[in-house]
Amino acid sequence: MKIISHSYINPKGAFLNGQNVLIATEENYLKSYFSELEIDYSKFYKMDLLSKAAFLGDYLLHNSYKDLLNVENELQFVFANASSSKETDIRFIESYERKKNPSPSLFVYTLPNILTGELAIKHKWFGENIFYILTKFDSDFFNDQIAMSFLRGNEYCLCGWVEMTGSPEDECFMFLVAKSEVVNENLSNKLNEILNNYRNE
Amino acid sequence: MGEESKLERSLKCYLKYGAIISPLGNSIEEHYLAFFENKSGIRKEEKTGFNAENLFLAKIEGLENSRYNALLKQACEKLIENYSSSFLQNPKTGIIVSTTKANLAAITTDTFESTRKIIDEIIHPFHEPIIISNACISGVLAVNTAADYIRLNKFDQVIIIGIDVLSDFIIYGFQSLFALSNEACRPFDKERKGISLGEACGILVMKNTPDEDFNVEVVGGASSNDANHISGPSRTGEGLFRAINKTLERSEVSKEEIDFISAHGTATLYNDEMEAIAFSRLGLCHIPTNSFKGYFGHTLGAAGIIEIIMCMVSMEKNVLFKSIGYSEIGTTETLNVISENRNMEVNTVLKTASGFGGGNAAVLLKCIQ
Repeated sequence: MKIISHSYINPKGAFLNGQNVLIATEENYLKSYFSELEIDYSKFYKMDLLSKAAFLGDYLLHNSYKDLLNVENELQFVFANASSSKETDIRFIESYERKKNPSPSLFVYTLPNILTGELAIKHKWFGENIFYILTKFDSDFFNDQIAMSFLRGNEYCLCGWVEMTGSPEDECFMFLVAKSEVVNENLSNKLNEILNNYRNE
Repeated sequence: MGEESKLERSLKCYLKYGAIISPLGNSIEEHYLAFFENKSGIRKEEKTGFNAENLFLAKIEGLENSRYNALLKQACEKLIENYSSSFLQNPKTGIIVSTTKANLAAITTDTFESTRKIIDEIIHPFHEPIIISNACISGVLAVNTAADYIRLNKFDQVIIIGIDVLSDFIIYGFQSLFALSNEACRPFDKERKGISLGEACGILVMKNTPDEDFNVEVVGGASSNDANHISGPSRTGEGLFRAINKTLERSEVSKEEIDFISAHGTATLYNDEMEAIAFSRLGLCHIPTNSFKGYFGHTLGAAGIIEIIMCMVSMEKNVLFKSIGYSEIGTTETLNVISENRNMEVNTVLKTASGFGGGNAAVLLKCIQ
């Protein structure tokens, strides 16, 4: 098991492999990063916070995909967060309670795994996908999930902790892991170290 | 990875009944009888729609105000009637929950908090529950994940809970998508008009050792994304096609061995058509197939679990249950939809699920007697 690359997005900045690559120039920091990166993908604007953050976190990693083989079928998404799609859930409730008009475009984002769908569509990847709700980021948990995924026959895992509720503590931590010769290497300590460094930036 | 793979392949996973609560009853026996008589849990519920429309729902009578918490409590209490505390609290017992929305009443704080609290108070598990929220494929993913934990030798047994309840949120949401039927749902039928929503809680127990009596082995499973649309099914059934193909490969089971397919069958025009295309591409159209949605309605995070429980009932009793609501094929590819209960030996079952986010999942079950 080998971490190929990792990215981190929060209101303070966007980071790739430990390096700060962008600083927000407006309050809507996700939109700010999207503009700075000059990405041509209009679907971005209709996405919820979770999908937007994961889209950007994934975009930062895009150079790491170049040399991967069979990525279309052999890459699994393993994502988790604590608050599911709470931010969109609340907005959807407002759409029928206050605005008296249940919004279908909000409703489709009231599931956290929609972000994996958005990434699959973007890349045309058909791999396995799963979304978990945990009380906090748990590196041992991700380590086990990746081990299981490789045991089932996958070659790569694109993992993410995407906790986005519209709070200053929001964060999107993503990491791409490949199967390697070192089978039983435990990634837990490494993942904790990487995330702590990002959180202390 | 060679040696290790061999080791894990030798670890097998067997499913046992845990508990089931739906509008059709509170026990396996009650469900068997209801299914044998082709009773549906779907009723007309007055003024339940956003504009006070009368909707067809599979609603559990007598649940208190906090419907989710009440249902989860009832199901956990059923579970502890049949399993010892030393089994449930064992450090090698894991616990997985499949739910899309959990306790929506607590939306301003934490919708998943009560799930952890109720399970802790009633079951007292050693480990905190692992919650899967992956739309309508959550239940099948939960069973496949439980099997992975056993194969990785992290757990010797896993409790798998699937639960979701009816709420204005879910009802108005599906209404806003024009996905609800104005009669009880009719999966795969020519006249199908959409989904009937339902609520239920199902619990399975997975073990790494077989019992003396009846055992259902989880042989293999897989998931796959359509990479096509976040809320619409793929026109080519690509994700479902790949999920089933991978499941068969990993299970080392050939198509010819499958006795029965428990399809997702939500009864929307596009979902059922997509499934029929995927089954046709895989050469599975001749295999007896049903959708349990005509009995339970669509119960979202509970669906995979309660439908697997009914697959186990089919295997135990050697009966295939009629797909309620079906009379004439309504998909471009002709499927062998079960139109009457049928007695036959049921040994190998394919269970599939598809959902929002482009997710598809499949699991292969084998009866070992």
